[in-house]
Amino acid sequence: MEAYIVAIAIVGAIYVLLTLGLTLQYGLTGLVNFGHVGFFAIGAYASAIVSMQGVPLVASFAFAALLAALAAWPIGLVALRLRDDYFAVVTLGFGETVRLAITSEKWLTNGVQGIPGIPRTFAGLGVGLPGALATLAAITLVCVAAALALRRITRSPFGRVIEAIRDNEEALKALGKDPARFKIQVLALGAALAGIAGAFYAHYITYLSPDQFIPLVTFYVWMAMIMGGVGRVSGAVVGALLLMLFLEGTRFLRDIAPDAISGVAMASLRFGAVGLALILFTLFRPQGLVGDYTRR
Amino acid sequence: MSLTRRLVLGAAAGTLAVPYVVRAQAETFRIGALNPITGAGSPYGTGMQRMIQAAVEAINSAGGVNGRRIEVFAEDTQTSPQAAVLAAKKLIEVNRVRAILGTWSSGVSLAVIPLTNEADILLMHTSGAPALSTPPANAKNLGYRYQATNDRFGRAFAEIAVREGFRRPATMAFNNASGIGNTDGFRRAWAAKGNQNGEHVVYEPNQPSYRAELLRVLSTRPDVIVMGSFLPDTTIILREWFQTGTPVKWIIPAWAANPQLVQALGPAVTNGIIAVDSVSNEGAEAFTAYDAAYRRAMNQPGASNVYAAMTWDMANTLALAIEQAKSFETAAINAAIRRVANPPGEAVSAFAAGKAAIAAGRKINYEGASSVLDFDEFGDVTPDFGVFFIENGQFNRRYVVKI
Repeated sequence: MEAYIVAIAIVGAIYVLLTLGLTLQYGLTGLVNFGHVGFFAIGAYASAIVSMQGVPLVASFAFAALLAALAAWPIGLVALRLRDDYFAVVTLGFGETVRLAITSEKWLTNGVQGIPGIPRTFAGLGVGLPGALATLAAITLVCVAAALALRRITRSPFGRVIEAIRDNEEALKALGKDPARFKIQVLALGAALAGIAGAFYAHYITYLSPDQFIPLVTFYVWMAMIMGGVGRVSGAVVGALLLMLFLEGTRFLRDIAPDAISGVAMASLRFGAVGLALILFTLFRPQGLVGDYTRR
Repeated sequence: MSLTRRLVLGAAAGTLAVPYVVRAQAETFRIGALNPITGAGSPYGTGMQRMIQAAVEAINSAGGVNGRRIEVFAEDTQTSPQAAVLAAKKLIEVNRVRAILGTWSSGVSLAVIPLTNEADILLMHTSGAPALSTPPANAKNLGYRYQATNDRFGRAFAEIAVREGFRRPATMAFNNASGIGNTDGFRRAWAAKGNQNGEHVVYEPNQPSYRAELLRVLSTRPDVIVMGSFLPDTTIILREWFQTGTPVKWIIPAWAANPQLVQALGPAVTNGIIAVDSVSNEGAEAFTAYDAAYRRAMNQPGASNVYAAMTWDMANTLALAIEQAKSFETAAINAAIRRVANPPGEAVSAFAAGKAAIAAGRKINYEGASSVLDFDEFGDVTPDFGVFFIENGQFNRRYVVKI
């Protein structure tokens, strides 16, 4: 039982990191990023490929963050010209482009065959519980650091500027600030977090293939953010954990009543439950569970 | 007594505990059915899971294994390694299963096998990736592959192309590990025979039309097109090919060229197609039993889901191995699997018959519904390939290819 809970916690923490990145981009700055999975994929593949060449994991994680942040640069340039829906379309396209590039560049990514045998984090402790606990500790540490950094950002002048970009970009320009630089920085930072999440994912699952990086991942992250509370650091954490509860909790329904629900019905039910939760949140708690109640 | 929050919570917790209390009454041998109920594998997953349950039902009604009933815990991989890892952890840690049966895609199997190795339990899968045969994935030799590798299929295609006298083969592959594995295996084997490979097109899934890809292949005037494909895309490609009126032959894996394809396109379009199957032992007794069970559970012919035939065989070989081992320990069961599945021995096609033969002290050789089911030293099946010609909507087996 412990190992199962630790496994859920690790995957949950990966989603927390992803959600924190999106919170920075959408929640605070108002950039509608529908291509989050692209940065996640870049981080995962970057760390996997580099580490399999013998680079130590610490360096490969840093490389994953760096490469994901660099990939955000061109998206940032696009973001200067596009707002809201248009930016959303471009980022959605970006996420798919990354997936197709991974599929096609066989020399680097082994294409659809995928990369097996990626080294585990804390491989010295074995595949069992100690290794998993150490991984969980490491990713929790990263999550806490990211959450604290984000909290620090929201209270800094930088944070006030990006929130102003979200609320009224024209007014901000009139005050003499240049939104472009801030948008690029925010995108790069959020992408770096997604890249680190990707690296953790790669070294935990130990097998990567392009079909793991479908847009559904992006929308899971959006669900987590909306349920938790847009624009709040604690919302990202609560939302990601709530998402895991929905996705994993439904498994146990079938153990209790195995004959009542078929596998296919269960899968539909799971999506139905998440969808219903989203609708109910929008209706009754639009700010999310721990959303920002200071503004209406 | 008033309905308090505490009372409701207590009652809920009690309800949750009921299955565990009930199950505690009789010791069972627990197995996990970890199948692709949703996602890319969803056309097969439900059938695979039902056939594990149906086979276990038959096993239990024949008195169970080594004195215990088998209990199945079913999970969905969502055809996603991440979901599969969590599902496998749950099966191993919470349900305490002693074997996991029926992972489908290579990605899922490669992600799950480190966990089953760690827990020292068996993993029986239907994936094609070669990496699953050898260490690190199969370091403990606890993994069994019930599907011929895609590479073996490709080699069989090449044998058939030579035998049929084709000179200019082109290949078309669905862009996933299985599709490309088939055509790559073919191209390697074809080149190894000193032949020239023709045009090779890889196409993306879920397109409404494959006309552009098809015309690219047809423009090179091949005499045969070798496919690494699945049913939905094959249906579209063949329909569009027929509209062009270009004469060409087809070699297609039997999971794509099946009776449903004939039903969708009619006998005129499908006439002359060569369908290649890992001798899904049609005609074998095990297949008849499986087919009946599949029709009962899914209301479709058993031949429409080759993977379900494999999961049926998984449950049966596992049960026979336990019976043979007279033990519930993984090491003993693992040692017994080849003993009950491989020749020599008395050919048996059902658990009940095998159990009786083992009890009488005879060496048995389970002949499965999916193939004759003999495992090599890597835990891979090494089937023969049946070559079927579709003629007037009928599948006629002409010959068998051994590689």
